[in-house]
Amino acid sequence: MYKKQFPLLLAFLGGAIPIISFFITTPGDRLKVTTDTLQDWMLIIAGAALLLGVVNLFQINLRKISTRAKGWPNALWLLLSLVIAATFGLADAFGTSVFGIWGGDVAFQWIQDAAFKPLQATMFSLLAFYVASAAFRAFRVRNVEAGILLAAALIIMLGVNPYAVKVLPFLPDATNWIMNIPNAAAQRGIIIGAALGAASFSLRILLGIERSYLGLQKGE
Amino acid sequence: MDMMERLMNLDRRWLYLLVGLAAVIPILAPLNLPVNVSRPVQDLFDRVESLEPGEIIMVSFDYGPSTGPENDPMGDAIILHALARDLRVVVIALYPLGGVTEAREELERCVGDLDPPNGQIASERFPDKVYGRDFIYFGYKDGGLAAMRLMSDNMHEVFPADFYGTPLDEYELGREVQGYDNVAFVMSLATGIIGEWWANLVNAQFGTPVAVGCTAVSAPKYFAYYRAGQMFALLAGLKGAAEYEFLVSQKYPQLAQITDSFIYNAGKGWDVQSVVYSIITLFIIIGNVAFIVERRRQKRGM
Repeated sequence: MYKKQFPLLLAFLGGAIPIISFFITTPGDRLKVTTDTLQDWMLIIAGAALLLGVVNLFQINLRKISTRAKGWPNALWLLLSLVIAATFGLADAFGTSVFGIWGGDVAFQWIQDAAFKPLQATMFSLLAFYVASAAFRAFRVRNVEAGILLAAALIIMLGVNPYAVKVLPFLPDATNWIMNIPNAAAQRGIIIGAALGAASFSLRILLGIERSYLGLQKGE
Repeated sequence: MDMMERLMNLDRRWLYLLVGLAAVIPILAPLNLPVNVSRPVQDLFDRVESLEPGEIIMVSFDYGPSTGPENDPMGDAIILHALARDLRVVVIALYPLGGVTEAREELERCVGDLDPPNGQIASERFPDKVYGRDFIYFGYKDGGLAAMRLMSDNMHEVFPADFYGTPLDEYELGREVQGYDNVAFVMSLATGIIGEWWANLVNAQFGTPVAVGCTAVSAPKYFAYYRAGQMFALLAGLKGAAEYEFLVSQKYPQLAQITDSFIYNAGKGWDVQSVVYSIITLFIIIGNVAFIVERRRQKRGM
């Protein structure tokens, strides 16, 4: 019972109370106070989940390293980076120095400026080259659907291009029309569909129909 | 091998070289290409212009270094514009992968170096502006949606202290901001989904006006929210940033001097993007012409 019913009850109350408090006001605003407390807990759990993630990362990668599985040097490098960044970050948070050499804030800022930012920026910048290459090689008018997609893409790309707009001044209006009418309509459909899916999935969890988050199989 | 075949089989490294040059040259020698201001950007500018001096806006840094080239200039422009209009600015960060440092760096880029714990609170760029009274940085909070929900009426519970660890109650601006009711609008500089949360939760449930500055790749999705009125303004990618920077520079030449002094700004980024877009468009057209010619040839059995 404690392994199944109690967590299901917790999940139900954790979801149902905020929903009810959104629609109903109780004397002394007790429901709202409970909801606020639950939200406080959520912030704490979100922080704890990060720690859980770190533990999980260590478990998986240490196993990889110890068994010399494929790509184990990458796993080693990952853990080393994690430990170094965490050491500097914690030194910054607690205002201490790292190995008595660097101030924690200086060391953490250095990691940020010299490693984290350039690496992230480089990874993202590579996209420009791949997108250019992929667009040249794969964006072909192979059929009617691809032709429509290509026409829309060209109008959008030319519509925001100052050189093209000088020659074809109607392009910005065409771009705006595509973004505001067909695009917005399609996006709205996708968003509403996804929201309905999320709502029904949440309802399944609250009612105890969906139990996979507890590690239970269907019917258990 | 004729010309069409050569084009079809062009070594991709030529394309990489062109894109690389197009990215570097305009930064070194700006082209100052024109921008056409679109309605969603004009809406943000007009809203900031319509606020009374002293009103508070909240700027949320919901992105990391990966999208910095698109989002950084948006942050610069909105903070500079707000301070020039004598509005007060509350900065927060909700993005876990670098949002906290992006926010501090952009705030300091706009107002100058700060060290509030050691008494350095006066802005170098705006001599009459002081940290804690005219602008403040609450710092980063994990939890995304839960943090946004709590901030509605318990701002100090989410952010008990500012980024530097000083309790919010010790600052005039910190004391004043207790929830969304105290801010004129929220501007989210977003990568990914966080901008949507501001619209879905903060605008839809609490009625707080929300504007979003998003990356170009997310822009199509955000247009649906803009059209539905869940965002009153939208800066779509680098183009949106360049448009806003242009509007601000036109109205406040003293701010143009500041943004022009930056190594990188939206105008320079826009130059780069325009040239790269031109190259990509050109190659798409070339690739398709070659493809169509080749297909016709195959049909004719040549």
